[in-house]
Amino acid sequence: MKSHVFPAITRAIVLLAAPLAVPVAAQWVNYPTAGVPRLPDGKPNLSAPAPRTADGHPDLSGLWGAEVNVPCPPDGCADLPLNRQFLDIGSRLEGGLPFQPWAAAVHTQRSADNDKAAPSTRCLPYSDVEMHTTPLYRKIVQVPGLLAILNEHDAFHRQIYTDGRPLPMDPQPSWRGYSSGKWDGDTLVVQTVGFRDAQWLDMGGSPMTDAARLTERFRRVDYGHLEIDITVDDPKAYTKPWSTTLKQLIVLDTELLDYICQENEKDVAHLVGK
Amino acid sequence: MPSGNRARGQREVARMTASAIVSIVSLLSATLCAPLAAQWLDHPTPGIPRAPDGKPNLSAAAPKTPDGKPDLSGVWYRLSPKYGRNIAADLKPGEVQPWAETLVQQRHENLSKDSMNTLCLPLGPAYTTAGDGTTSAGMMKIVQSPGLIVILNPDLTYRQVYMDGRALETTPNPNWMGYSVGRWEGDTLVVDSFGFNDRTWLDSEGHPHSEALRTTERYRRRNLGTLDIEMTLSDPAVYAKPWTVAVSAELAADTEMLEYVCNENNKNREHWVGTAADDRKSGIKVAPEILTKYIGTYEEQPKFWSHVPRTVQITVSGAALFGDMDGRGMTPLVALSETSFSGLYGLGVDFVRDDQGPVTQLFVKHVSGNYKFLRKK
Repeated sequence: MKSHVFPAITRAIVLLAAPLAVPVAAQWVNYPTAGVPRLPDGKPNLSAPAPRTADGHPDLSGLWGAEVNVPCPPDGCADLPLNRQFLDIGSRLEGGLPFQPWAAAVHTQRSADNDKAAPSTRCLPYSDVEMHTTPLYRKIVQVPGLLAILNEHDAFHRQIYTDGRPLPMDPQPSWRGYSSGKWDGDTLVVQTVGFRDAQWLDMGGSPMTDAARLTERFRRVDYGHLEIDITVDDPKAYTKPWSTTLKQLIVLDTELLDYICQENEKDVAHLVGK
Repeated sequence: MPSGNRARGQREVARMTASAIVSIVSLLSATLCAPLAAQWLDHPTPGIPRAPDGKPNLSAAAPKTPDGKPDLSGVWYRLSPKYGRNIAADLKPGEVQPWAETLVQQRHENLSKDSMNTLCLPLGPAYTTAGDGTTSAGMMKIVQSPGLIVILNPDLTYRQVYMDGRALETTPNPNWMGYSVGRWEGDTLVVDSFGFNDRTWLDSEGHPHSEALRTTERYRRRNLGTLDIEMTLSDPAVYAKPWTVAVSAELAADTEMLEYVCNENNKNREHWVGTAADDRKSGIKVAPEILTKYIGTYEEQPKFWSHVPRTVQITVSGAALFGDMDGRGMTPLVALSETSFSGLYGLGVDFVRDDQGPVTQLFVKHVSGNYKFLRKK
């Protein structure tokens, strides 16, 4: 049942199915991206400098996908190509995540259960961290005072306020949390608190509690690359704060297609595990 | 009432206006939410004109973006009581295909068991006109950038309106949120949309649409506080001719949207039992001379809204009592006793007499509580 960790209806399936159904379907996923810097041969120059907004800050706007670094078997990927941190957010950490004992036990148990208890198997939202690592795309829309992240996954959005407002002292817990960001040089530093308890940071079930404070440092390295350094400070689940880097690649000449988990949902009844 | 409380109040109202049995779930979530602070709802909106007392000057001129276009950005309350319930309210008999009318009737009999709100699915083209009748669409936030306008909804969905001059899809892959392109006609934003799947309802009554549905919306920010919206729907497979509905939105200053995740502990479907016919069967006959005592207009006290208190109108037609709330449309009420009725879009109504006998007030009953309405006339 591992395949369930990959959304049931995916871009891959959409793209496979569309040509069969209507040969010219879904033109909008072929729409050329405007303003792409080009090499002399006409190819996109992904290492061109990051664009900037009118106020001089780097412009993070664009369609982004997680770096793909899980190799496909020789006969090809059965599902979407994956980022390893989607499966295990601690995969780049030496020694793994600094779990509290209960969290380590929960993590082990979730693996034994084929991760059937993941919120996403019930079509509940991904955590903010999973939203960065999911194989589905997301679009960043940067306007003065606000960064909106639009996800293909459930057509869900997230807001990051950049108007300087302070974080609330006693926020109402929510899936997205409450995010406020400010520029530190060319890096947008985003602090988020107010998470609903019992979220997952990855499909392996690394937990995040309502005590978590998430720091994300967004840095557009060049035109084609975005790096998000995340620090999770969640003393309930981890013995110390830990950090890792999530790499994002620009996605050109296409658009978001919505994927609605709850559409024709038949998965839950088939979940197996202890 | 501070804006934060107002927004929470609005949540309650939104829940109240949903169908009957959703209230079981609403009670749970409302009870859980109520005591918690939600400070971010009280964040003052920066950069808006204010009166000397600090209140937003809602009749000030609409702001403009640096390129001189009206700036529609902001958090808005969607107001659409009439069309949120019945998008076809202004159509004449025969302008809706008979099969579609039959389907609406079936959906009514099933107490909207398969509505988007019950199934936790996106509302598709109905976000614009759903109004405050549904928690998932009661508010919106417009994010305006030069090439793209994004509309964010409380249920975390979003809609993109491409403003970069691209053409509308001719053979779109049908999806939930559709495909939208916009352009400015003077100070009016005109948005053409196409490519919706046919799974969504156009209103809470359940008017259907096909994949051929096209909509054109016209957004005009009349002033700081008011957004006028017209939506023209064209779907010849279901409706005889295109028609236009006018709705509006009111600026929600000094607050933000709170997320609403429908699937959180969703137990709706298992509790969603019965049919409208059950309600009618349990109804009793009440003498017309008693019913006529209830005729009148009732206004909510204390008002739940900052600007517009909710109102209920009661009339008698034939030998039956009818009710309307906020112009959603007269609907027959079923008598459960001489003073207690059901059927106001899923809400109950209890009439209260004073010691001398005249009816002075009514309570609108929702599982989250009873709401008092005083008789105005």
